[in-house]
Amino acid sequence: MNFYITTVLVYAGVDIIACLALNLQFGVSGIVNFSFIVFQAAGAYTAAVLSMPPSADMSGEQIYVLGLQLPFPIPWIGAALVGGLLAIPVGLVVLRRLRSDYQAIAMLVLSVIATTVITNARPFLNGAAGLSSVPQPLSENLNPLSASYGYLYVAITLVCCLLVLFVSYRIVNSPFGRTLRAMRDNELAATSLGKNPVALKMTIFIVGGLIAGLSGGILVGFITTWAPSTWLYPETIILFAAVIVGGRGNNLGAILGALLVPVGFEEVTRLIPSHIGAFEPPVGLVPALEWVAIGLLIIGFLWFRPRGVLPEARHVFRGGPTEETHWVQSGRGS
Amino acid sequence: MLVAREVHRHFEGMHAVDGVSIDVLPGRITGLIGPNGAGKSTLLAVLAGTLPATSGTIVFEGRDITHLPAYKRARLGLVRTFQLPSEFARLTVIENLMVAAPRHKGESLHGALLGKRYWGEDEERLVTEARGLLARFGMTAKESDYAGDMSGGQKRLIEIMRALMLHPRLLLLDEPMSGVHPSVIGEIASYLEALRDEGLTICMVEHELHMVDRLCDPVVVMAQGRVIGRGSMGALRQQREVVDAYLVG
Repeated sequence: MNFYITTVLVYAGVDIIACLALNLQFGVSGIVNFSFIVFQAAGAYTAAVLSMPPSADMSGEQIYVLGLQLPFPIPWIGAALVGGLLAIPVGLVVLRRLRSDYQAIAMLVLSVIATTVITNARPFLNGAAGLSSVPQPLSENLNPLSASYGYLYVAITLVCCLLVLFVSYRIVNSPFGRTLRAMRDNELAATSLGKNPVALKMTIFIVGGLIAGLSGGILVGFITTWAPSTWLYPETIILFAAVIVGGRGNNLGAILGALLVPVGFEEVTRLIPSHIGAFEPPVGLVPALEWVAIGLLIIGFLWFRPRGVLPEARHVFRGGPTEETHWVQSGRGS
Repeated sequence: MLVAREVHRHFEGMHAVDGVSIDVLPGRITGLIGPNGAGKSTLLAVLAGTLPATSGTIVFEGRDITHLPAYKRARLGLVRTFQLPSEFARLTVIENLMVAAPRHKGESLHGALLGKRYWGEDEERLVTEARGLLARFGMTAKESDYAGDMSGGQKRLIEIMRALMLHPRLLLLDEPMSGVHPSVIGEIASYLEALRDEGLTICMVEHELHMVDRLCDPVVVMAQGRVIGRGSMGALRQQREVVDAYLVG
């Protein structure tokens, strides 16, 4: 039971961190980053190869680069840095010239390419089989199988969550966040007011990449394996669903979305019985229905509650008017 | 103040702006009129840098800005508004104004992470400045409403106030009376007159000819991407080519 609780809590923490990062990129800045999962994967692979022993020590079972056996927290720091560094070339290619709808398509294609390349380039990160037996942080001092280790991992994840929430809060509630929201609402108008949209997008894209990389580092340290099948492009769609359901542009909405969609769905489907009386559903039906439900959830929210459960907060300044008065007699659009 | 010479803008063979040369004189409202498709808004976009010129030169206050991107031109004080409402819909009215202000300490990532103690003073100064503009344009009561919920006329005023937050040297207005209730048109004209009297230079595309008559001198007439006349409205009414192309009726 302890293992189940700690697993759920760590997954929740990782999803919260990822959703906060995606909220900064998509909810606040309007960047439709359909390759988000690639940055999480980059972080996970980096943390793995920084903490694993050299590939030569694995008697040919796994082939991968680096294998530096670095102590905690260096692999996690490396994971975040690689996530951020990866955002630079991707951002420079995708965000500089393409319109936002084409940016989304380019990101999606990038995600598919990345999975295909890593799957087929085995000497790099062990191909489709992926990496396993990734050393857990502090495992040389503590027993990773003990309950106390599980709770320690939850505590470290929680600290990371709070750190990311602090950064997100500072950004969203600052003039910088206001400028990002303006760019999201009307990029051309923001440009004509002296804002450099490429610089703004690149900045928040790199910040999002750093945070996504960190989330990957945390996750791989806990589950100790990482393979291309864990970061296929639909995983990004789940995170988008979470941010849309929770409330775009609202940090608390992103947290709520993370708890409702990736964590909630995963846990609810566990409760579905493997057979109902004599009827035994075909293998793979439940996961397939899960995807149908995610799709319906996104469409439903975009249709009926586009701003999510917790909509973006209205920023009101002290001393402002509280009552609405009508300035012109004509109605909207006059 | 702004000198454009032989400016061309082509779209795959279509000459939207075809060798236009104009001078925008300081402290005046220069009107830009012409039939639909004459290239007025394209010219305004080229002057603001929203669209790059295919060829020609644009000099602003003695500096060649032909190849400068729009955001850098805005930082020099060359600020434009748009033909269609371009408010930041999910920002409040006062936020629409404050976001325009340049050189805010909290507008960088580093400033944002340092927190309100670092940028709070700048913010308070801006709130005061924005409230001053809201009071002047009669929109104090709308401060905390979403800009997207405003009427057409209010959105036009938000755009003008937003541009003023940059302390522009030259304001390029693209049909500021378009889509606005007739009762508000006069009000916008009065604001523009007041801004001109304070020394602000304005270049304005407009179809409301009685307002052009009231506000603009000189007026430049365009048709099919070219300038076909310039001068006061009175003088233009005497030019046959201008009358045939635009002023009939």
